[in-house]
Amino acid sequence: MSRLKLPPWLVLLLPAIIILMAVVLVPLVLSFYSSFTAYQLTRPDSLTKWIGTFNYRKAAGDANFWWAFGRTVLLLTIALNLEMLLGLGLAVMVSKVTTGQRLLRTAMMFPMMFSPVLVGFQFKFIFNDNVGLVNNALQSLGLTDVAIPWLVDGHLAMFSIIFAEIWTSTSVFAILILAGLYAIPQDPVEAAKVDGCTPWQSFRFVTLPFLMPFIYIAMAIRSLDVARAYDIVQIMTNGGPARRTELLWTLIGRTAYVDARMGYANAMGYIAILLSIFFTIYFFRKLTAARSELGMGV
Amino acid sequence: MASNAEHRLRKRLLRIAHLTGLFLAMSLICLPGLWIVLNSFRPTVEIMAKPPVWIPNSLNLDHYRAMFGGVGEGGVPVLTYFRNSLIISVTSTLVALLVGMAGGYAFARYRFKGKAALFVGLMATRAVPGVALSLPLFIIMARAGIIDTHFGLILTYVALNVPFTVWLIDGFFRQVPRELAEAAEIDGCTRWQAFWKVEFPVARAGIASAGIFAFLTSWNEYALASQLTRSVNSKTMPVGLLDFTSQFTLNWGGMCALAVLMIIPALVLTFLVQKHLIAGLTFGGVKG
Amino acid sequence: MNRLAMTSCLALAAMGMATAASADGEFAGITIEAKLIGGQQYEALYARIPEWEKATGATVKIISQKNHFELDKEFKSDIAAGTTDWCVGSNHSSFAAQYPSLYTDLTPLVPAGEVAEYVPANISAATLDGKLVMLPRAQFDVSALYYQKSLYTDPAKAEAFKAKYGYDLAVPETWDQVRDQAEFFSNPPNFYGTQYAGKDEAIVGRFYEMVVADGGKLFNDDFSPAFNSDAGKQALQWFVDLYKAGAVPPGTTNYLWDDLGNGFASGTIGLNLDWPGWAGFFNDASASKAAGNVGVAPAPKGSAGLRTGWSGFHGFSVTEDCANKAAAASLALFLTSEDSQILESSTGPLPTRTKVWEHVAEAAKSDPYRSEVLAAFQETAKTAFAVPATPYWIEATNLIYPELQAAILGDKSVDDALATASDAVDNLMRENGVY
Repeated sequence: MSRLKLPPWLVLLLPAIIILMAVVLVPLVLSFYSSFTAYQLTRPDSLTKWIGTFNYRKAAGDANFWWAFGRTVLLLTIALNLEMLLGLGLAVMVSKVTTGQRLLRTAMMFPMMFSPVLVGFQFKFIFNDNVGLVNNALQSLGLTDVAIPWLVDGHLAMFSIIFAEIWTSTSVFAILILAGLYAIPQDPVEAAKVDGCTPWQSFRFVTLPFLMPFIYIAMAIRSLDVARAYDIVQIMTNGGPARRTELLWTLIGRTAYVDARMGYANAMGYIAILLSIFFTIYFFRKLTAARSELGMGV
Repeated sequence: MASNAEHRLRKRLLRIAHLTGLFLAMSLICLPGLWIVLNSFRPTVEIMAKPPVWIPNSLNLDHYRAMFGGVGEGGVPVLTYFRNSLIISVTSTLVALLVGMAGGYAFARYRFKGKAALFVGLMATRAVPGVALSLPLFIIMARAGIIDTHFGLILTYVALNVPFTVWLIDGFFRQVPRELAEAAEIDGCTRWQAFWKVEFPVARAGIASAGIFAFLTSWNEYALASQLTRSVNSKTMPVGLLDFTSQFTLNWGGMCALAVLMIIPALVLTFLVQKHLIAGLTFGGVKG
Repeated sequence: MNRLAMTSCLALAAMGMATAASADGEFAGITIEAKLIGGQQYEALYARIPEWEKATGATVKIISQKNHFELDKEFKSDIAAGTTDWCVGSNHSSFAAQYPSLYTDLTPLVPAGEVAEYVPANISAATLDGKLVMLPRAQFDVSALYYQKSLYTDPAKAEAFKAKYGYDLAVPETWDQVRDQAEFFSNPPNFYGTQYAGKDEAIVGRFYEMVVADGGKLFNDDFSPAFNSDAGKQALQWFVDLYKAGAVPPGTTNYLWDDLGNGFASGTIGLNLDWPGWAGFFNDASASKAAGNVGVAPAPKGSAGLRTGWSGFHGFSVTEDCANKAAAASLALFLTSEDSQILESSTGPLPTRTKVWEHVAEAAKSDPYRSEVLAAFQETAKTAFAVPATPYWIEATNLIYPELQAAILGDKSVDDALATASDAVDNLMRENGVY
């Protein structure tokens, strides 16, 4: 009896593949199927009511869906870029400190200890227009004498959500970039110094290219993970008022569980997946490019 | 001389800017969190007051006392939630790290057909919105009888964290020059020994940060946990936070008290583990 | 403690008589799985469960404890997965119509004499399509008007008010008076005349009761939308006017119940239509700045002379798939029994049994604040009404509320907003074959 010999890479990858199949792929097939039905949670028999692409057509023709789609892209773009810049700045500042770095690093990661549910409540109360921390502070300092409706105003509501999102997630970038900074080989930096480069030049032309793979890893991970902002947005504004902060996740979550229209929600979900996959592939490409530039194997 | 003085001045200005920036950033990072900690010690009337009470008149342990109190006195089974959270997070992190190390190593060290596609495919599983996943997952787990168990949630969190650990660890393994391991093999190590003795220590920083991320994701995850847990058998602390809400009321002080209990272990663990990030510092030496 | 023990013995005896066959160990060996609403204020009741276990020999296993919104999600998931063989579930009158297949009719399981002990209006709201789907718990909710008493004791204010509006300043009896007074009292950003729930089902509920109080209807009898009417426009205009006048906090369209409660407790809100659950909180000096200054009046009336009175209540239901319906119904009955209700309502919530109302009123006699609270809520409860009994209620609210918000914030005109919402609800009902 000959034993089946699998290539070593497959053996190494097998656990990951099996777990992801069981927990993600199989459920996905189920929900993909249900997106072609009139499936309503409260009526199990509706799972067999095949309605073709009706749900997809309905979503595609719904202006509210596309607004939510656009708003999600906007939020992702702004939040990810700002988080990256702030994270980079933070990491560089922390790496330059000579004493108490251990404490600083822990403090830097402080927001990551907060569950998104908690962050939602926290910022909902901080941005409360009447008795919230921010307005109270601004009024006490005499900077304003009106109650600023942080969570209601068309622009401020998005700002508040993005602020909360950035507050929780900048640490992710900062810590990854910091790890990258530590891993930088010292000789090119030394060489740059000897060659008379200014600190800015050596950062721009030596450090930054080396950090790029780390930045792209962080970007890609965050763009995948950003859907967890759902908890935050759901609690802070639940997409309101008057759909001003409606994102794909709040719309889909409400349709799926509150309205119980799982079929329709899954159809919208699959359109949303395309968005995520686009971001993933985009950052993966960037990552590969950055790596080959550094001469690391693909 | 003049340029030297100018240089010193610029250096000093840069230093001041650096410290100010760091101070501002750290304040922004820490203040909202410290506000929660402070709230957990304050009576409700002072938390959201107008005119605001900036300097607390009284700090007490009432919210904590109530939380540990009996049923009907504001008590919440905190210790049970804590135990559930700990078991689930630690186990799922360890498993996700092992699986991620295997996967990351495969991607970093082997060439095979369809590698890029497989990699993106693996990552894309993370892109699936929780909403599209939570119900079918629930149905499957309900049928398998693992709803409201530690096992069900551990399995889910491993799957949640694997793409992420694979990717991160892969990135760090790539930083280890291939020649290093090859040299070790030439010196008579097996591939396995070469991995543990040479590549693993160098990639330790990556593994540590992947571990921190995986742990914190599991520790704080809410959306899936709220679907897959139901009672004290498996409810985790983030789900327990909602015990402080009822249909119309929300006990913010109490919620903050539980939040503090959630944050402390995570903070301590992070503080302990993050020192391994320094291991990455040795990398420069290795290469040089 | 003694009194409680004694009354519970009496109640057990009474229950024994009522259910005739009930004897010790009647359900011996049976395990009842229950999904009960969690949260501090609800859980004191569950401490009584061992008494029932002792009396019947059955065991209760609580397999889920969550708040109602999470529980709602869980029930829907259960229906989807077919895992509905647990027995007793917490239910709510606003959610009940969504699960037509989940719960069994309790009429054959509970003696008619028992059912007659509950407040008739609650029983009729718990009856859907002729099925009694839940036994009402001592968690009855209708809103009354909380106000700061000091606003009405300042002669200078009273004079200024009369000069401006031409009538005496007194605790408002109509919503028009509320509007006048709210505008009059407001002094943003430090003080606002009133506030209202501004999102989700909450704003639709508030709008719904206002439409009714103005003589209109939200839905016709066939559940086609009826709110795009004069009464509907008048009702929505009330919310718009207050917002435009700055008489409510500018963030009010993002407020839910917890924000409203915290707002009134901060002492910055004059008049506040709110639920009975807050009564104790508002008058507790460690939680509320308004403590000692809180008055409670029945809900004001709309232009048709009717009080607002959107109401709901918690209850316990028994699933269709339960293996031991008799035992499950006995547990549901026990949890809503006279004794259980006395226990629960002793901390503030309103009962759903006629006798317990009397008991509560009697017990509050020595406490003027509590008596005032009870009188106001009792008066409002007389004309209270539940949400429309359609499975699409919640879904309809999700279509209506963004439009209401758009009108309040000035993104749309009142006419536009109501027309859009009405069309959307009409589509929903047609798509589901309601008519």
